[in-house]
Amino acid sequence: MNGDEAAARQLREQVADQFGRSLHIRTLDTGSCAVCEQEIRLLSAPHYDLNRLGFFFTPAPRHADLLLVTGPMVRAFDGAVRKTYEAMPGPKVVVATGACALGGVYPKDPFMHGNVGEVLPVDVWIPGCPPSPLALLQGLSVAVGRLAERTPGLTFAAGGEA
Amino acid sequence: MPLWFIRGLRRGVVTTRYPATPDGSAAALPTPPAFRPGELTRDVTDRIVAVCPSAALARHGDVLIFDAGNCTACGRCAAAAPDAVTSSGEWELAATARSALRKEIPILGERS
Repeated sequence: MNGDEAAARQLREQVADQFGRSLHIRTLDTGSCAVCEQEIRLLSAPHYDLNRLGFFFTPAPRHADLLLVTGPMVRAFDGAVRKTYEAMPGPKVVVATGACALGGVYPKDPFMHGNVGEVLPVDVWIPGCPPSPLALLQGLSVAVGRLAERTPGLTFAAGGEA
Repeated sequence: MPLWFIRGLRRGVVTTRYPATPDGSAAALPTPPAFRPGELTRDVTDRIVAVCPSAALARHGDVLIFDAGNCTACGRCAAAAPDAVTSSGEWELAATARSALRKEIPILGERS
């Protein structure tokens, strides 16, 4: 366990070092409803302009540093997911995107794994149905170590207690 | 020569920072709920757990378990219990650990 954590920290430092300026993203749809893809495409639009942050989409997993996975991991995609992940050069980052990928929408059943974490080693989880382009930008920045995550500090308890 | 080019050379940065200014459209985003522990009773909690379509809510004794990763921000819990549930306004929710998205909210309302 400690070895895992040390390895994870080392990978994170390596990623921050190497991916600090330019990072190529391969998107992988494992059975999503395509709304996550729609938000991901919006990142390229002038309003969000992903490229100004040094992120680029690439059509080839062999050129990709980061795998952006959407959808509930339909089992029919097992082969494609494995090939895509193996084709990526290391160090690589896996980002699970959307409530389906985080296990919120579909249960684990004979047709789908229901959670990206069942199949791939996920580094960053981005909740949302769909996550807005802003949330995706924040998630990508967390993935390359430019931003600290805020989630551990959130309680989701509102004030105004009686 | 364009000014931005000279500025870029002087600062030595090739990209702009994440968000350089607060984003105006963030306020319009649907966001996961926030809960008022003082207004939550076991009955209210069971009601909002029952309407949640994505298993983001569960009740364990006097604790409401909210999994922000499962939440689709549909707003059904806020509609079912408007006194106890509001919108959190949080959208920067990326987490490096899945467990960091599971939150425990105490149920402090009076028993019914």
